[in-house]
Amino acid sequence: MSNSFIIGQYVPGSSIVHRLDPRTKMTIIFFFVIIVFLANSVGSYGVLIVFALLSMFITRIPIHYIVKGLTPVWFLIIFTFILHLFVTREGTVLFEIYTFKVYSGGVIQGFAIAMRFFLLILVTSLLTLTTTPIEITDAIEDMLEPLKKIKFPVHELALMMSISLRFIPTLMQETEKISKAQASRGVDFKTGPIKERAKAIVPLLVPLFVSAFKRAEDLAMAMEARGYHGGEGRTKLRALKIEKRDIFVYILFAIVIALLLYTRN
Amino acid sequence: MNVKTLVNNGLLAALYIAVSVLVQPFGFTNIQFRLSELFNHLIVFNKKYFLGITLGVFLANLFLSPLGIYDLIFGVGQSVISLLMTMGVGRFIESIWVRMIANTIIFSFNMFIIAIMLNLALGLPFLITWLTTAIGEFVVMALGIPIIYALHKRMHFDKLV
Repeated sequence: MSNSFIIGQYVPGSSIVHRLDPRTKMTIIFFFVIIVFLANSVGSYGVLIVFALLSMFITRIPIHYIVKGLTPVWFLIIFTFILHLFVTREGTVLFEIYTFKVYSGGVIQGFAIAMRFFLLILVTSLLTLTTTPIEITDAIEDMLEPLKKIKFPVHELALMMSISLRFIPTLMQETEKISKAQASRGVDFKTGPIKERAKAIVPLLVPLFVSAFKRAEDLAMAMEARGYHGGEGRTKLRALKIEKRDIFVYILFAIVIALLLYTRN
Repeated sequence: MNVKTLVNNGLLAALYIAVSVLVQPFGFTNIQFRLSELFNHLIVFNKKYFLGITLGVFLANLFLSPLGIYDLIFGVGQSVISLLMTMGVGRFIESIWVRMIANTIIFSFNMFIIAIMLNLALGLPFLITWLTTAIGEFVVMALGIPIIYALHKRMHFDKLV
């Protein structure tokens, strides 16, 4: 069973990063993604690296969690680096491998892109590591609030997201159970020609869909029986509030942006 | 939005994640191949699946994608644009099969959005990336057509939400 699979890789903690308002974290990440593209010198990359590593250490999340989260990305980072080594033809020739010439421009560009990518992944993964999915949902609902004016169902979307989050583990167990049940009846998902494997998916998906929509029906009925009627005039159990630490972090981030602009070429 | 549509779409998004994580039958890495992409075909049966599919893509990218924030913006953008296009085209097409084929072509073509993303994020060459990702998407979605049709015969997707 994949009970060990935790959606959102959230690691509980009480660091300042954990306690920040989720809206603050999302806003900062949004701007971080933009300013990363402004970095173009050793100094400006240095500023961003210091900011990213400092944030990482402040969370006090054990390093191996973060490294584990980055495993699927290493391959991409290294692949991109090597690609740029061979494709870019600027600067002086550093060395030759058979007929391939490796230029200094390629090394610099490959390194810069790999660094940028690494920074983005690291900072964005800090969000899911320090914020529960429910907090993220609340923050999204709050930040999409202006869209209510154009009749976008913001509250419904947030509720849909919470329902979804609640049922992900349930449906994952169900998927596991059904695929084992079908495998014991001789369905083979892993070998054979593609056509056969595609066919094998049908007996897996049918019971899965049936059970998911059955659960949905039960839940919808329960909600209707209790008189659910949308977000109009409702109060919240967990109200979001901007604290002093949020303002402090905003100021700190403004300084980071200023330093970045100062150090870039 | 009525309660049934809301709840069904929530469960659909959850199913999208469960299937993304657990069912990987064609032996590629989860970066290149996501079986739940075939859920995109549900839009041809009823446009009420729109939010569920989009939310599924959003959550899957939020929690599972190694590309993080890029996938969140461009991946969701690609799905939203493609789904809207299919909904638009679907008005003029009666047959479910033709709609699914149109959907496959639209999704594959719109992989240029993902190619832009990979170009921005990793500096990969745009045209080659577009071509390879579009072929990947096309294969998944084309394989998905008979699977979804077989499911539709049992489940009657058009009447579920």
